[in-house]
Amino acid sequence: MSGRQIMTAEEIRRAIVRVSHEIVERHGGTEGLVLIGIQRRGVPLAERLAAAIAEHEPVHPPVGALDITFYRDDLSLIAQHPVVKGTAIPFDLNDRTVVLVDDVLYTGRTIRAAMDALVDFGRPRAIRLAVLVDRGHRELPIRADHVGKNVPTARDEIVRVHVVETDGEDAVRLEQSGTPAAHA
Amino acid sequence: MTAAPMPGVTWHHRHVLDVDVLSAADIDLVMRTADTMREVLARPIPRVPALRGTSVTIIFWEASTRTRVSFEVAAKNLSADVVNIAAATSSVTKGESLVDTIRTVEALGADMIVMRHSVSGAPYLAAEVFGGSVINGGDGWHAHPSQALLDLYTMRAHLGDLAGRKIVILGDVLHSRVARSNIWSLTAMGADLWLCAPATLLRGFDAWAARWANGRGAPGHGRFTVTSDLGSALRDADVVMALRLQRERMEAGLLPSLREYAARYGLTRERLRMAKPDTLVMHPGPMNEGVEIAPDVAVLDRSVILEQVTNGVAVRMALLYLLSGGHPEGVHGG
Amino acid sequence: MAELAIGAVVERLDIERAWLVDPVSWREGPGEIVVRGGRLESVSWLRGAAARGVRPGGMLVLPGLLDIHVHLREPGNEDAETVATGLAAAAHGGFTTVAAMPNTSPAADDPAVLARVRAAAAASGSPVELLLHGAVTAARAGERLAALGELADAGAVGFSDDGAAVKTAVLLRNALLYLGAFGLPIFEHAEDPGLTAGAEAHEGVVAAILGLRGWPVAGEETAVARDLAVLAAVVPDAPAARLHLTHLSTAPALDLVRRAKAAGLPVTCDVTPHHLALTDEWVAGARRWSWEALDGDGAVRDPWADGALVAHPYATAAKVNPPLRSAEHAAAVLAALVDGTADAVATDHAPHRAVDKETEFGLAANGISGIETALSVLLAAVAAGRLPLLRAVAALTTGPAAVLGARAGRRGAARGLVEGAPADLVVVDAGDRWTVTADALRSLGKNSPLLGRDLPGRVLLTVAGGRLGYRDAGAA
Repeated sequence: MSGRQIMTAEEIRRAIVRVSHEIVERHGGTEGLVLIGIQRRGVPLAERLAAAIAEHEPVHPPVGALDITFYRDDLSLIAQHPVVKGTAIPFDLNDRTVVLVDDVLYTGRTIRAAMDALVDFGRPRAIRLAVLVDRGHRELPIRADHVGKNVPTARDEIVRVHVVETDGEDAVRLEQSGTPAAHA
Repeated sequence: MTAAPMPGVTWHHRHVLDVDVLSAADIDLVMRTADTMREVLARPIPRVPALRGTSVTIIFWEASTRTRVSFEVAAKNLSADVVNIAAATSSVTKGESLVDTIRTVEALGADMIVMRHSVSGAPYLAAEVFGGSVINGGDGWHAHPSQALLDLYTMRAHLGDLAGRKIVILGDVLHSRVARSNIWSLTAMGADLWLCAPATLLRGFDAWAARWANGRGAPGHGRFTVTSDLGSALRDADVVMALRLQRERMEAGLLPSLREYAARYGLTRERLRMAKPDTLVMHPGPMNEGVEIAPDVAVLDRSVILEQVTNGVAVRMALLYLLSGGHPEGVHGG
Repeated sequence: MAELAIGAVVERLDIERAWLVDPVSWREGPGEIVVRGGRLESVSWLRGAAARGVRPGGMLVLPGLLDIHVHLREPGNEDAETVATGLAAAAHGGFTTVAAMPNTSPAADDPAVLARVRAAAAASGSPVELLLHGAVTAARAGERLAALGELADAGAVGFSDDGAAVKTAVLLRNALLYLGAFGLPIFEHAEDPGLTAGAEAHEGVVAAILGLRGWPVAGEETAVARDLAVLAAVVPDAPAARLHLTHLSTAPALDLVRRAKAAGLPVTCDVTPHHLALTDEWVAGARRWSWEALDGDGAVRDPWADGALVAHPYATAAKVNPPLRSAEHAAAVLAALVDGTADAVATDHAPHRAVDKETEFGLAANGISGIETALSVLLAAVAAGRLPLLRAVAALTTGPAAVLGARAGRRGAARGLVEGAPADLVVVDAGDRWTVTADALRSLGKNSPLLGRDLPGRVLLTVAGGRLGYRDAGAA
């Protein structure tokens, strides 16, 4: 991978620890708290956050995975449907506080789609958002409650998050591209 | 949760008319997409907006409740707008041609057509005339791709990889579009496929099998065996699929009587013992209990006949979703 | 030539350094043609230096072609074809004489119908000669004989219930006996309807895979066997009786004819261009010639296996009776043509309205609009080395003329390049190609499986009985 490294593996680890504390502090505990990672890389991040919470709290919050492909607002525009990776939310969402977890927050459309999906599963008491990187350029009124790192970016740059679980390493890099990055 | 997707797999078919043009990779994609659809079906509200704004018109020139409702539910679960045309009540019976019906439906805004017709090849004519996508819900004796794919899905759910597994299709193969489509899908998966029926109902299939036996078959599609010997067909079978036998076959002089067929080829509990102990029993429905399948076999625990109904909706949702993707230009990430 | 109207006398035509083909003298080679005042004034064969560079792959001059089996849909179905459009199509195909089948509406079972069709031909202004077949049975219903004698007196050249076989053996026997007095042939469409009821495509692997009801080979073979047996029984009592089996498509049927001829029976037969060049693969979506569908060992290729399927299956333009057969039968048809078992090529030109073809395969009308592509198809076979050029031309001229015998039209049996006779010839550029499109076809019937295809052999000029029948827009 080329480009400028903006987070090392160590920085990612610390950010996760900090965010895990923030989540619990904001919620006032772990009662009724669930984490749902957005496919793809939001899922391992959600699992790490849950594990980090379990290290300083007596409870390991439930973790689910959410695939928002079916809820994308641009399905009719993209040339080829993306391959669906699957949703697994094996618990009740009613009256729970859901913390959505994603790797990069950009235009906000992914989160909009995710909230649409959650509504089909039940009625959470609250939905919060935790992201590893916030790169700005919101197109919808969406904001993150917990951010690992704020990274100002240009539209023609790409933020690449690698996690050990899917990519074999932990790193965040900023790359140039010819065209503005799509979605996220 | 499903495994990571195969890299570089894209769907490039505009229609689903038969299984013969689907590669093993295509079939795998349908299977995995159907997995995610099953998860959607398990939710309290089994609905996603993936096909919102897409108009799906279902036209069945040949009557069917099961398949038609299955497609309707599938389309609605994807939030598509569904229009249902049953030929008997429409202007079709007043002599409107198939081509005119398709053109009218297109003018009314249909993006996709799901059709069933009693004449082999009718969906290909529709596909020539229609600007959107056509899904074949069954045409004459020729093909029933969604049925074959849901049969495949069901078998894989129980048996895993089908390579080398012995699968038997028993019954009126000659007139069966289910059998023909299953030949393509099961041989593509490397199964050891057997077709078994009285000789009058197998005509033409030994020539088809012989052509493929020499290794000159269609790329990616394997061989299959044709026999009238029920014992050799059923022995150690992993899956037994019984096909419906219709009264018209006797009238056409192909069989002496339904009773004789039931006596010699009916799937009874006793005959089932020749297969593996945990063999899967399947039937595309509707069943003639007492003819091709004994009533006590139809209700056995290991019969997955009702499970196929649920899988049918999932597979059809998968097909509708994949077809709505338009023409391929690369896969975008999630 | 530029301003010459169709039907006008060709006063002056000189063709230099072309490849002439004359099946009467059984001769082909470099030559020159001179036409004056509508007569073929001279035919010169070139030798030595003058002949150098003239090849059969370039400009050809053939005698005007004769098609003994066409369907003009007038009276009764003029939307599919009229006598006028049919004759124009014939001329475009290089034909100067055609014999039309009687399955019109009303059927040509009465001299009044013949007169009506002849009047239409005269009114069309076409110089193409129109011969007429009469029906064997009244209204082709297969119950009683039609007015055979009256039809013969009115000039019918043959008799047929085509579209179907003569319904019963006894009717066939009686018709053969009766017509034996006139020496006129029965053109029999050999088909056993019991075996072919509801059939859609040749009974074989393609039909099995496509889920189409099969047309068994036995459906033609048993009918031919019946017909030959009846003929053999009739001949001792009526030595001049003649049977002509039309559009034979299967190896066993052609074998039966081969043996019957060897035994001296007065039987002849014809084959169509589509049965020698196309196969049942075309219904599956292949678009290769029949000789390309066989591998080196003569085994039939599998179009699903070797990427030969290039079009959607179930094209109704490929639906015809008898059906397109599998490649080994097409090879037998070609072999029968080469060895003379097949006396003639006849197109069975069967135009249909679009509405009768643009429908579900099983419901579509049977028939190929083939008179304009026939010569090109044979030239493709010649170019592929499957058929000698002289034999191909003979199959479209002297062969069918011999079948009709005395009633082969104004040219009779002398269907060649004959000095002094009215000019009856076709000029073809075998080195040029043309694309078969709906606009290019003069026939109202656009139901050709070759639509969109590039074919060898562009007809430049057709002269019928000294008058202009067809002229290519680009011809000098």
